[in-house]
Amino acid sequence: MTEIVMSQTPPILHGPSEKERKYDRQLRLWAASGQAALESANILLVNSGAGTVGVETLKNLVLPGIGRSAIYDDETVTEADLGVNFFLEESSLGKSRSQNLTELLLELNPEVQGSWYPNEDIKSLESLLSSPSVFTVILYTNPIKPEYLSLLESYSQKHKTPLVAIHSAGFYSYFQINLPGAFPIVDTHPDETATTDLRLLAPWPELVGFAKDLTRDIDNLSDFEHGHLPYVVILLHYLEKWKADHGGSCPSTYKEKTEFRSIVQKAARTDNAEGGEENFDEAAAAVLKTLVVPSLPSGLKEVFEYEHAEPAEQKSGFWLIADAVKKFYEKHQSLPLPGKVPDMKAQSKVYIQLQNIYKAKARQDAAEILETVQATPGGEDIDPAEVDLFCKNAAFVKLINATGGKIKRADRLKEVAAQEAVSDEMAEMTLQPLSLLPIYLALQPTAHVSSGDKISADGILEGVAKLVPGAEENERVVQAAHEVARAEGGELHNVAALVGGMVAQELIKIVTKQYIPIDNTCVFDGINSRTQVLRL
Amino acid sequence: MATDAQVFPASEPARWTYLDKIRTRPGPFTNRDLFEGKNVAENMEKMKVLVIGAGGLGCEILKNLSMSGFKDIHVIDMDTIDLSNLNRQFLFRHADVGKSKAEVAANFVMKRVKGVKITPHNCMIQDFDEDFYMQFQFVVCGLDSIEARRWINATLVNMVDEEIEDSYKPLIDGGTEGFKGQARVILPTVTSCIECQLDMHAPRAAVPLCTLASIPRQPEHCIEWAHVIAWENEKPFPKLDNDDPAHINWLYQKALLRAMEFNISGVTYSLTQGVVKNIIPAIAATNSVIAAACCNEALKIASNCAPCLGFPDNNYMMYSGNDSIYTYTFKHEKKDDCPVCGNLARELAVDPAWTLQELIDSFAARPEAQLKKPSVRAEGRTLYMQFPPSLEQQTRPNLEKKLTDLGLEQGQEIGVTDPAFATVSFKFKLKFTKKT
Amino acid sequence: MLKIWSMKKEQQKAENAEGAAAGGKKKKVTAAQLRVQKDLSELSLGTTMRTDFPDPDDILHFILYIEPDEGMYKGGRFSFTFNITPSFPHEPPKVQCREKIYHPNIDLEGKVCLNILREDWKPVLNLNAVIVGLQFLFLEPNASDPLNKEAAEDLRNNREGFKRNVKTAMQGGAVRGESYERVVV
Repeated sequence: MTEIVMSQTPPILHGPSEKERKYDRQLRLWAASGQAALESANILLVNSGAGTVGVETLKNLVLPGIGRSAIYDDETVTEADLGVNFFLEESSLGKSRSQNLTELLLELNPEVQGSWYPNEDIKSLESLLSSPSVFTVILYTNPIKPEYLSLLESYSQKHKTPLVAIHSAGFYSYFQINLPGAFPIVDTHPDETATTDLRLLAPWPELVGFAKDLTRDIDNLSDFEHGHLPYVVILLHYLEKWKADHGGSCPSTYKEKTEFRSIVQKAARTDNAEGGEENFDEAAAAVLKTLVVPSLPSGLKEVFEYEHAEPAEQKSGFWLIADAVKKFYEKHQSLPLPGKVPDMKAQSKVYIQLQNIYKAKARQDAAEILETVQATPGGEDIDPAEVDLFCKNAAFVKLINATGGKIKRADRLKEVAAQEAVSDEMAEMTLQPLSLLPIYLALQPTAHVSSGDKISADGILEGVAKLVPGAEENERVVQAAHEVARAEGGELHNVAALVGGMVAQELIKIVTKQYIPIDNTCVFDGINSRTQVLRL
Repeated sequence: MATDAQVFPASEPARWTYLDKIRTRPGPFTNRDLFEGKNVAENMEKMKVLVIGAGGLGCEILKNLSMSGFKDIHVIDMDTIDLSNLNRQFLFRHADVGKSKAEVAANFVMKRVKGVKITPHNCMIQDFDEDFYMQFQFVVCGLDSIEARRWINATLVNMVDEEIEDSYKPLIDGGTEGFKGQARVILPTVTSCIECQLDMHAPRAAVPLCTLASIPRQPEHCIEWAHVIAWENEKPFPKLDNDDPAHINWLYQKALLRAMEFNISGVTYSLTQGVVKNIIPAIAATNSVIAAACCNEALKIASNCAPCLGFPDNNYMMYSGNDSIYTYTFKHEKKDDCPVCGNLARELAVDPAWTLQELIDSFAARPEAQLKKPSVRAEGRTLYMQFPPSLEQQTRPNLEKKLTDLGLEQGQEIGVTDPAFATVSFKFKLKFTKKT
Repeated sequence: MLKIWSMKKEQQKAENAEGAAAGGKKKKVTAAQLRVQKDLSELSLGTTMRTDFPDPDDILHFILYIEPDEGMYKGGRFSFTFNITPSFPHEPPKVQCREKIYHPNIDLEGKVCLNILREDWKPVLNLNAVIVGLQFLFLEPNASDPLNKEAAEDLRNNREGFKRNVKTAMQGGAVRGESYERVVV
């Protein structure tokens, strides 16, 4: 693999471009790769009902520069729209809602393309969905006409398009993401502190040699050198000693590890000006965290054990690399080394050497995996950068919607309702917050009731009884039904904006394939300011 | 239950139909002792509301409050619009770069939403006194600085006057970082305050100066070295301006050379800017979540149509969108030893004709604490310090002076410390027993 | 509107809490100032240190003089400016040496490498902890993590030579081509 060698003179300065400056605060989250993905995405919103939550979602996607956005909305703008939707104005009254929304949304970012329907050329949702334009994600808001929903569902199945349902009424809301299949994510952005993988229990020859060179004469090192040994080297040195005294085995039990820790602590020099050594403190503090026998992380295990529903899926870059990593793991009993070394007290030169030893091993592991990938049919064209990224994040790879549609949705809802009822009964003991499933249940019967039509709490409870028999008698479901009835299908702007923010976050995660999206339903309770994610 | 109750619209019933159904009718969770649907819409239209910050959160807050039936809103922000704001601060356009945030935001929302009045203040919050803050019913904060949050918090807590109902101003505060954020409600002296909650903000990890000076290992160390040490030594420009690309370039060049010297990779212009300006990643979506969570509380506080955060229990919502969506809504407990809300000034009856010495002697007889060696200050005025010796000497002449001659006034606060009370200090509010 | 006032009354009834004082909108004592006032009244300066407040009403800015009575820096007088921000004690005080001195942990600009002034500062620490730390720097200069690299090398490699250099520098002489300020009393 090529290594970029830094030239000896500083490069000519290219300040950031205008676009980089505009998007600076988000590029720090999802980098140029995420931005490129966002800019090639095409989002469709099928808007109905009070019509705000979907528009607030789009606002949060237009601003960061989504490629294209389209709105399908049959309604014309009414007085009530102006009281809840910020992207309409007095002059919009009586005109096409999709057109006026699109025009005011596009003002936010000249780089975004937008279109609105129905228009002169495309007069129905059906003809829009049969047009050549392919959507990356489709959002729709409840209450939606049942015939529209079935159009969207069949489009989503046919084109493998993620379909997102959103419902916002009064203080309550939920949204549900329907992914077309298992959705793997490599670039999950785990917490920095979780990613340290130093392999102290299974060091490779170069690392062992480096540590030995530095500690050969450890007792005669000057205070300066002794006080600047990197903690990795300190731990490797005392592990060798431990192994010599313990028949070759490393400290494994908690008791052994604390014993080992105090050996390290006692090895610090205290007769110097500072009365101690920071690097030995760091070493002692790292004992429990780093002397851990690696086990296969659950996310990756799920990937390794995943059975493909469709053979085509198996040919994607992700799965080819995953197979190669699995082979690597079976052969070496360890994952490819990520290669990152946390900052630690050390002399600059020594730290950089140590860093290079880890980087070199990481490159070697990645090269082995790349070789396996390229030897697989279909793997010849895999981008080596994709392999590198997988190797760096292997321990944190995550599979969303792994079980896909294997269980029928109606059955799963009953199952989850039973589980949530049990956990609510114990809530007082376990100090867990109460389930928000009642909100989801109370909103369900209004999914197709247009905002003009009143539905009573009793009507809602009748609907709940059909979904989960017996739930209509639960006191919290009854309260939720009354709260939903109070809204009469109307939105509160704040709740729509809040949920629009959450949905936009999720779409960004899905489009950029970074961070981890929900699996698969998020319920929001605006009375208690809480959310709950449920797999429904 | 709720559904049949009457709706009480104030003005423009057709426009606010969705809102009025919720805010003027009780629901199953509405506290009926506090709620009176009849007056809600009208009262809200009369309320005066203050928004602090017209940035990422502020733009959203202004939109949300105007769409929630508030009609008289003030906004304070001293910043001007920068290109890097446009990815989220949706009230600003490219042509607005360089203009006042407060003014552009106010004008935009007034143009869009009929009947709302927004008064912009292009200045610092510290430019206003208590009289200014007293005119508002509550304050919503969308700030990126902990400093400003602490200031407004201390101001609002200090404004509390038990005798005056209107002196309790709820403070609703939001903050974001990347996909994460928090929304909280502070009811001064009732719930925990921003100062009580300071431990919720992780301080920025500092690197030892000597690491920067002699053993850098990370690109950040090289940048900090350029920022803290090289700049001070070379002073290439009279004063470092973080927003001036020429200044950032200078630091970047310095950092890059240093990184090469030590074979450290990873110094970029963007990282340099990030470290020097302490840039926090920010996106529209997260601002939307947090600002709306704040304004949702504002609507509940103003109308009582549903219970708000802060009363009786939970006052803090944490939000994280990095790994799925996770919220944690909880009660952050008030700290008894909070230097702001745990230490309100007590009344102290004094004779204005007393000398400072007489005042100090009187502390020895106070029932709550017999202060034998008290040191006494008023804001910006050192009255008498027992220690250190140089200050003692400088302030000793004050002991002979009368309180009024020292400039002390009715109602003024003084701070009293005593080495015998290692963990507490006292605040007293002077109440003159005789006319001066 | 939420009635915090009546809520508060309820809360007070329950707790039977002691109320705050009434009336007036006069200048309030800020938390930072009160804390500095407390810290100052608890300083232990001993015989080797003293303070100077250019403006006694402004306790956030002062000068600390140290005259070590033992160690290599005995016989010198060193002064430090203390600048305390309104964020104190959440931010450490900013401390800088006013003289150009030869010391491994103080650079030629007067910047001081003392952990509690930067990475290890905590609000529970007080001004006394800082002055104790400064005093310690003159008793035990530390060569391992220097700000003045030349001085640190001298201390590490040749302690006697370092001591001589300290004497020379304190007299206002030059060490390794760098001239220092006279600080002997």
